[in-house]
Amino acid sequence: MRGPIFPEGWLEVIDISRHFGGIMALNRVSFQLEQSSITSLIGPNGAGKTTLINVISGLYPADQGRIRFQGENIAGMAAHSIAARGIGRTFQLEELFGSLTVLENVMVGCHVRSRSGMVSCGLALPSARREETQEREAALANLQLIGLEHKAGDPIASLPLGERKLVGVARALSMKPRLLMLDEPVGGLAAHEISKLVDLICRLRSEGLTIFIVEHNMPFVMSLSEKVLVLDGGALIAEGLPEEIRRNEAVIKAYLGEEVAVA
Amino acid sequence: MKPVAQFPLPFMVFALVVFLLPLVVSGSYVVGVMCFVALYGALALGKGVLLEQAGIFSLAHPTWFGLGAYVTGIAAVKGLPPLMAILLAAGFVALMAFALGAPLLRLKGYYLACATFSLMLIIEIVIANLGSLTGGHDGLMGIPPLSIGGLALEGDRPFYFLSWGLCLGTYWFLNNLMQSRMGRAILSFNDSETASRCLGINVAAYKLRLFIITAILASLAGSLFCFWIRYIMPALFGFPLLVELITMIIIGGGKTLYGPLLGSLVVMWLREGIHTYLGKVLPVMTAEVDALFFGIIIVVILILMPGGLAGWLERLRPAGRGARARTNLS
Repeated sequence: MRGPIFPEGWLEVIDISRHFGGIMALNRVSFQLEQSSITSLIGPNGAGKTTLINVISGLYPADQGRIRFQGENIAGMAAHSIAARGIGRTFQLEELFGSLTVLENVMVGCHVRSRSGMVSCGLALPSARREETQEREAALANLQLIGLEHKAGDPIASLPLGERKLVGVARALSMKPRLLMLDEPVGGLAAHEISKLVDLICRLRSEGLTIFIVEHNMPFVMSLSEKVLVLDGGALIAEGLPEEIRRNEAVIKAYLGEEVAVA
Repeated sequence: MKPVAQFPLPFMVFALVVFLLPLVVSGSYVVGVMCFVALYGALALGKGVLLEQAGIFSLAHPTWFGLGAYVTGIAAVKGLPPLMAILLAAGFVALMAFALGAPLLRLKGYYLACATFSLMLIIEIVIANLGSLTGGHDGLMGIPPLSIGGLALEGDRPFYFLSWGLCLGTYWFLNNLMQSRMGRAILSFNDSETASRCLGINVAAYKLRLFIITAILASLAGSLFCFWIRYIMPALFGFPLLVELITMIIIGGGKTLYGPLLGSLVVMWLREGIHTYLGKVLPVMTAEVDALFFGIIIVVILILMPGGLAGWLERLRPAGRGARARTNLS
């Protein structure tokens, strides 16, 4: 089902490899993401899932392979350039900014869309003040989206884990990304927070955002995804619809271990 | 919610007191010391932002201050109008900061500290050995008075207002900067460079820009310093000044923007106090005794107020109403 050659928001990972010392973290991984779709990546611990996200977002260079985003090869670009092209992400370990408030954390997400430089900010020029107001309003709107606007002025450390994870999502959304990558978004979340996140993700998808999720929580992945990728030992071992993946023998073996597969 | 950068009431009161001080204090002693407070304060403010807000462990501040003073002084001695000399110095320092910062800022933490410390020593030696241009170890003499448009600004009071204008202007600029998108970007890469980069922030470029901007601010302070004492020598811009600046930041408290300025005020007056009054009480008064008492007072302040004076003041504020949500003030 190939659409136009490189439609908006379309990502193509081609033959990506990455090793750390003697360990092959990613071994010739290739896949595609359709625009406005929800794709999940699952796999046992150490399968290379986070490495893959880090390579796509430019934190690690790939040893080989290409990543085409909207027709442009982004492999080898600096992380900030990749972000500026519309790829946003959250982190497994949050990586929120401890010296900023909740609102300010989300406002850093707006950074890439504003223009004022250090001199105009230091001189408080009207253009810088205008952007400041815009950033504040946009960030507040995104805080409302996750229902945390009442905690805007709180220090980030005062929030429970689940809320901090949601702030990470709001921060990435403030970039107005075309592709949003969520690294284990529901780890440590309570049931009602998970359902809040599911609603948000569905809504974002319907607004045209492409979403790529790395997650362990199978019910969450299966209920949400249109396509599931399975990574094991750095290689893609399966790709398909959620129900196909659920029945795939190789996946069951890799993910749940031999015994369960036999049983 | 604050729509634009805010200047808290205490700052306004402080600025007013500074403005009124020379009108109520007679004689030149207090005004003279306060000129040094302002210039070293301006220097410490910029260094405080680099060190504590941005996490850039650069020790090159005395160098930018010294280069600013020397280029201004030499240009003025050679007959360039003072205002032009000041601009020339700022431009020169900006170029140097760019040329040296681009490679050096790839280093982090202690490695950057070592490299910039060496830079400070090297520049000091170079200035001392360029005798024909800089006057060498003996210092640069014959610096003309500061004049703007034919109007000579001599004496304590004009300099007092100029120095404090620069110092409070530096604070104003840095406060605006730190409360803007750029300030948040700076704090963000200090907290998590990884997340910062993934949000589209070009960390390396921002570090270099901040490095250059604080170098220019230091150069301006150096220019005024040169016209204020009208005699400069390499030893004024070396290790002792670095220690003094770091002491100011530690005593004042670097987690807040105004801490280093407070530190400058306290350190300079503490020094004066020890110098003036201890000499009358003690039978022997040498530089070592001076340093000993200074050291003891600093240790006591740090034990009683680990976050510096500003950290202690911030705790007096009602809870939840900090300039920023700093939880790690102590």
